[in-house]
Amino acid sequence: MKRLYQFECILFFRTQAAWWGVLILLLSGAAGLYLGKSFIDKQRSVIQKAAVLQPENTQRNLRYFGNELGLMLYHNKYTLVNQPDPWAAFATGQRDINPVMLTVSMLGLQGQMYDTDLNNPVSLLYGNIDLAFVFVFLFPLVIIAFTYNVLSAEQESGVWRIIHAQADNPQRLIRRKLLVRAVVVLGVALVLLLSAVVYLRLPLDGRLLWVSVLLVSYLLFWFALSCWVISWGRSSGFNLAALVACWVLLNMLAPALVNIWTSWRYPVPEAMETAMRQREGYHEKWDMDKSVTMDKFFAHYPQFRKYPFDSSQDFSWYWYYGMQQMGDDEAAASTKAMREKLQQRQRFSNAAALMLPGIQTTLRLNQVAGTDLQQYLQFQSALQQLHEEVRMYFYPMVFSDGKAAQADWNKFALRYFEAHDQRPDWRQASILLLAIVLWAMAARNFRQTLKQPL
Amino acid sequence: MQTILLIAGQTWKTILRNKASFWLTVLLGITLCVATWIGWQHYQTQQQQRLQYSKAVREKWVSKPDKHPHRMAHYGYLVFRDKHPLSFFDFGIESFSGVSIFLEAHKQNTVNFSEAGFSNGTLRFGEMSVAMVLQLLVPLLIFFLGYNAIAGERESGTLKILLCQGVSWRQLMVGKALGIIAVSFTLFLPVIVLTIVLWAMLSQGQITADAALRLLLLLIAYAAYFAICAGITVLVSAVSRSSKGALTILLGSWIFFLVILPRLTQAAGANIYPAPSKIEFAAAIEEDLHKQGDSHNPDDPHYAGMKAAVLKKYNVKDVKELPFNYGGYVMAEGEKISAGIYADHLRRLTRIYQQQNSFTVAASYINPYLSIRNLSMALTAADFATYASFQEQAEQYRYQLAQRMNRLQMEYIGNNKPAVISHDHWAEMPDFRYRFKTAGSVLQEQGATIMALVCWLGLMTVGLLTASKWARTL
Repeated sequence: MKRLYQFECILFFRTQAAWWGVLILLLSGAAGLYLGKSFIDKQRSVIQKAAVLQPENTQRNLRYFGNELGLMLYHNKYTLVNQPDPWAAFATGQRDINPVMLTVSMLGLQGQMYDTDLNNPVSLLYGNIDLAFVFVFLFPLVIIAFTYNVLSAEQESGVWRIIHAQADNPQRLIRRKLLVRAVVVLGVALVLLLSAVVYLRLPLDGRLLWVSVLLVSYLLFWFALSCWVISWGRSSGFNLAALVACWVLLNMLAPALVNIWTSWRYPVPEAMETAMRQREGYHEKWDMDKSVTMDKFFAHYPQFRKYPFDSSQDFSWYWYYGMQQMGDDEAAASTKAMREKLQQRQRFSNAAALMLPGIQTTLRLNQVAGTDLQQYLQFQSALQQLHEEVRMYFYPMVFSDGKAAQADWNKFALRYFEAHDQRPDWRQASILLLAIVLWAMAARNFRQTLKQPL
Repeated sequence: MQTILLIAGQTWKTILRNKASFWLTVLLGITLCVATWIGWQHYQTQQQQRLQYSKAVREKWVSKPDKHPHRMAHYGYLVFRDKHPLSFFDFGIESFSGVSIFLEAHKQNTVNFSEAGFSNGTLRFGEMSVAMVLQLLVPLLIFFLGYNAIAGERESGTLKILLCQGVSWRQLMVGKALGIIAVSFTLFLPVIVLTIVLWAMLSQGQITADAALRLLLLLIAYAAYFAICAGITVLVSAVSRSSKGALTILLGSWIFFLVILPRLTQAAGANIYPAPSKIEFAAAIEEDLHKQGDSHNPDDPHYAGMKAAVLKKYNVKDVKELPFNYGGYVMAEGEKISAGIYADHLRRLTRIYQQQNSFTVAASYINPYLSIRNLSMALTAADFATYASFQEQAEQYRYQLAQRMNRLQMEYIGNNKPAVISHDHWAEMPDFRYRFKTAGSVLQEQGATIMALVCWLGLMTVGLLTASKWARTL
């Protein structure tokens, strides 16, 4: 028995395709690891620069505007960093599109929190190469290349007739062949995963286990699909064409449809609505009686009523920040609607992912790596909290004519937000489920196909 | 010539008579129709949204009450990136570049709210558009339909017979290629008609000569692309040992050239020409501004010198005695300096991005897919150049707005005049209108890409014509 597997292995590695397949996976895996890491390293170095720049800027602002606290706060900025997890280099996800950090002043938050980083849109369009890309896109192709002619090649060369006549159970031969190929592919996957653990310094925790299960089930799905197609007993050319068509359908066409459907079905005009409302909510207050602003402001923050407001002054920072607050308050409804819309999108693609293993794998990897939309929204919430904290700290000082020197400016040095989902997400079981269904269908077909000598 | 047409006709018939190929072609045809419909819907919703909000922005702007002009400069303007009617055909970078930008005095903002920012990562798989189907899937179909064009004849033994009967290699190759091209055009022609009809409807009959020219060029470019793909298919089929070998080579190159290589070239460009991050960019501008003088610093030598010069010119002792508002004058000066510095840095940044993208342009000489992709994006105004020119025009508009408000302040405010001016002035500021480039200038910019396409076409023709020298007969 053991000898048979050895022979099968030798046979497999006699083909050029085997060496090429393994080589391509290892090379592109190494490229994916390198490019993913260098991308995240670049973001880390930007974060380090910001850690230096932020206190410098605060000190300069203090020098220029230190004698007027209101003006100082108008200029001074606070940064929240979306700190990359080690896994982020494995699946960079949305990290190239969403900003690495957001820097905001105490003015209206809604006018600042959607600012983007500087990006080359063409690079965003083509996307990064990371290990997740190699696993999701390239592994299936190599699996197809290894398996499409497992049965048909024997049939086409005429060997199958002999085997069929001599062996008691020809199904075993096919099983052996597939098993050898599966072991080779999974072995390469393991090598890449281990290199990732070492090279990216991935923590050895539950997430690693969870990702391993995810990737193995994804690879098994493709083996199952491939088996199902070859179980029809058609020619090599047909199998290859059909499998590539499956790949195009599952990893290209269907996701592209899902995308365009989401952006058409769930458009986000709320984004523009928010931008407009924030701007109007603040600016129109200049032309209104001060009480309009202050009544609403005190309704929001009753605790500040105790600070006397002098409405006879033409301008006061008290009023000014009250007006700024109105921009956020009046945009609140559309901000909420926007977030709700994004959740709807999320729900839709999660539902679609149940049938599309490629999307499922990508979404779950991004989730574990903390590089998906959900966690960016959490980052935005954290920014909102930081902004509120800044306001709550400085409002009383501004309202009571405090001095900039009294404030503890170090309190608002660079802040870090860390996101990654530790919880296991059972949705990834859908991939395994699909694989089992395909295996079952393939096994049934094989029983039929293998009865005939041709 | 007759023989060539005979072979071409025969090839066309055989392919379409084959049940599998026929259904594959029909399936792709349906996909194309779906893509056209979706592209149109998507364009409409997006464009309507943008028009609606830009109209609202304009109305709000005009309806503002009497104010200090500097308040209006800070109230600013929200402008939206226009979509070209042809963008329903090719989405290009549309989803990855922002949609709206807030323009205000003293400050340059980013273009925000890109579709990609609202996506949870599935956008990386691509978007369904007519261009995507034509660029990625039609070549795949051509490969599937034509891989056995020569190899199949050889395997069945008919190749020898054909050659013995006096058909030359040249006639055979050109005929086969024409046949496959004809099949791809059978698919392509309805799309052309559909596109023209749709697009005429979209623009409500107001078809400009420029847009018509763009569409015409687009169609020619795609026709050339399909011809190249068909040619490559026949060539590969002629050199391969077996039709299975031809299919493997074709599919392998499809994956390598259309899926992997584009990402690699762009990644290489981005790594070789690193662009500054936002904070580095901002810090560099800040530094230049400090060198020029700081309008916020009361003791700044630049502004102190300026003040002295103005006082001397008008022969007064105090800025209050000047015939215009000095605050407005200082701001106009500051805006001029800061906008100049910003424009300079933005130009440099755009240059770096262009250098990064030049890798993809250069790679179109080894990868025809990239040449059609670049050309198609440019012709449908969904490319980087259009985005950069939007940024530039928006910044120009911002500058004009700020300076107009500064001028109003100098003329009408302060020095014993009221602190607000009539709202009649707001309507004097014209609305923002994005001007697309003309098709002619797009063509000029895309010279290298067009050359690549022409080179490929030439190479393929030479290959087909010299087939007798290297093609495999047995």
